[in-house]
Amino acid sequence: MSLTGLYYGKPVELVKLFNTLKSRGYKVIGPKVVEGVIRLEELGSYEELASNVSDIQEPGRYRLVDGGKYFRHGPDSPKKMLYPPRLTLFRITKDYRIEVPEVEVPKIAFFALKPCDLAAIQVMDRVQGCLGDAYYNLVRRNLVIVVENCVEPGGTCFCATMGTGPIASKGFDVAFTRIRDDLVVFEAGSSLGVELLDELELEPLDEKLYREFIDVVRRAYSKARPIELPDKLPELLELTLDSDMYKEIAEKCLGCANCNMVCPTCFCFDVIDIPYYDGSAERVRVWDGCFSYNYAAVAGGHYRPDLWARYRHWFLHKFSYWVKQFGTYGCVGCGRCITWCPVGIDVRDTLRRAIKEAEKHG
Amino acid sequence: MKKLRIAVYKFASCDGCQLQLLNLEDELLDLVEHVEFAMFYEASSDVKPGPYDVAFIEGAVSTPEEEEIVRKAREESKIVVAIGACATAGGIQALRNWANVEEYKKYVYPNPEWIKALEKAHPISDYIKVDYEIRGCPVSKEQLSFFIRQLLIGKKPTLPVDSVCMECKMKGNVCLMVTKGIPCLGPVTMAGCGAICPSYGRGCYGCYGPMIDPKPRALAQAFVKMMGLSKRDVALLFKSFTGWSKPFREVVDEYGK
Ligand code: SF4
Ligand code: SF4
Repeated sequence: MSLTGLYYGKPVELVKLFNTLKSRGYKVIGPKVVEGVIRLEELGSYEELASNVSDIQEPGRYRLVDGGKYFRHGPDSPKKMLYPPRLTLFRITKDYRIEVPEVEVPKIAFFALKPCDLAAIQVMDRVQGCLGDAYYNLVRRNLVIVVENCVEPGGTCFCATMGTGPIASKGFDVAFTRIRDDLVVFEAGSSLGVELLDELELEPLDEKLYREFIDVVRRAYSKARPIELPDKLPELLELTLDSDMYKEIAEKCLGCANCNMVCPTCFCFDVIDIPYYDGSAERVRVWDGCFSYNYAAVAGGHYRPDLWARYRHWFLHKFSYWVKQFGTYGCVGCGRCITWCPVGIDVRDTLRRAIKEAEKHG
Repeated sequence: MKKLRIAVYKFASCDGCQLQLLNLEDELLDLVEHVEFAMFYEASSDVKPGPYDVAFIEGAVSTPEEEEIVRKAREESKIVVAIGACATAGGIQALRNWANVEEYKKYVYPNPEWIKALEKAHPISDYIKVDYEIRGCPVSKEQLSFFIRQLLIGKKPTLPVDSVCMECKMKGNVCLMVTKGIPCLGPVTMAGCGAICPSYGRGCYGCYGPMIDPKPRALAQAFVKMMGLSKRDVALLFKSFTGWSKPFREVVDEYGK
């Protein structure tokens, strides 16, 4: 027994853990290098897990280079599996019967998921708990999450600001941290996690190793360079509603909605009805986002025709309204919207600026 | 059920857009059960007079004669649908709108005085009210079919109007601008093609034309500032299939000076 709940073992234990999940029938999904980018894909074997690569992420720029030990998440997030971009909701036969297609619900295990993405799943849990999305809840029920804690946060990461990383604290089945090349620290976060770790050759962390682990954690936090968030941030930010800052920032914005698409918590959707010649039809759900023009078009008008108002809405929803709506921030600090914005608009800058503006008013 | 009477008009264009109707090979039999192609020269020389329920108009208006026909098309048809880059934005032949057409005629034709060309090639909305646009060079046959099927059940047809980026992301494409520094018109171009070019590693050429509420000037600025493109190259990027559309033309005029 370990008093801290932490155990350690050799890296080969990760291979064993991986194989256990496979043998239990899970579709194991984790970071994989595909055409020079880290993607979240099914891993046929442990060897397919990305390694010996590192990424450079800056506003509007992503490069993967050979060598190095650390890489961060790419454009894909767990949303891709839990909330697919295109899903047939039902079919209507020509005599007006509604048929809900039988879906094969995959049994998914995420392997080496980043803490921010784990946090994103927890945010989605609240949202989908409210919306009651059937597909999400079915996949979620079987989901196993093995988290790899981040020893080296990347160029656009700000998980430490949002309190979601770089080390995961709850919500996982297993979390591991590579504190040395030949030493991995393990932690179970659920009864399944305990069961999975039981099958590995692990030792409880002694005091010396615990200190070493804490050092690694501290270093990771300091590298994540958190932004100081004032108390009552959601209320404070509402004071910026009339600020011109959004107009200035949105001058650069294209309204392309890449930020919505890559965000692991953006959950908005559109429904498309597809009629067929024989009189039957299909209703399909596709991803949508608040940056798209038509999103706020309603019968009789449009409530956010200006792009700056759409930018403001997106930002304030993530950092203010979401809290009222779902009891959590809508942003987990993964930085995807920064890296994958083609013009490199940086939400961290917006956040810093909005805090300053609000404090002027407050 | 009464069949939908369709007329297919053609102005200055390559015929590729109307050909997409015939390219609906697998569903043609279903299609003609529900629609009558009352006028469709590419398919049949048997032409029936109007009025028509729907006119699909391909091509840019570029001769005085076409100016008359396009007005007649409007009078004869309940719904007018402009199809393709030429009909919606002027198309490739609108590149001559930046030049002197009289000069061109002299270089191309032995008897230029026989050629009656308008000074500019026009999208058909310059002349008549257009009810719907189906974009692309050529239009996608899937969009054509989807559009017609929506009409058939009496639904107001809708097609995507947002950026190609959204299609790319939903398809699982990785951004070419962000990972490779390849200039791409996707962030300002209307979706609907299925993000074909980026799927093959090429930046979007913008053949679908400006998306709804587009910001081409912001993209042009990013091309220069973030990617180091020359102003001339930016102008050339925007000056192609749909360069004559107003939002893209503004960039061409500003950067191509
Ligand atoms: S912030 Fe960036 S990614 Fe988002 S809509 Fe604007 S330009 Fe596109
Ligand atoms: S808003 Fe940006 S940083 Fe926050 S979770 Fe979404 S993509 Fe990540």
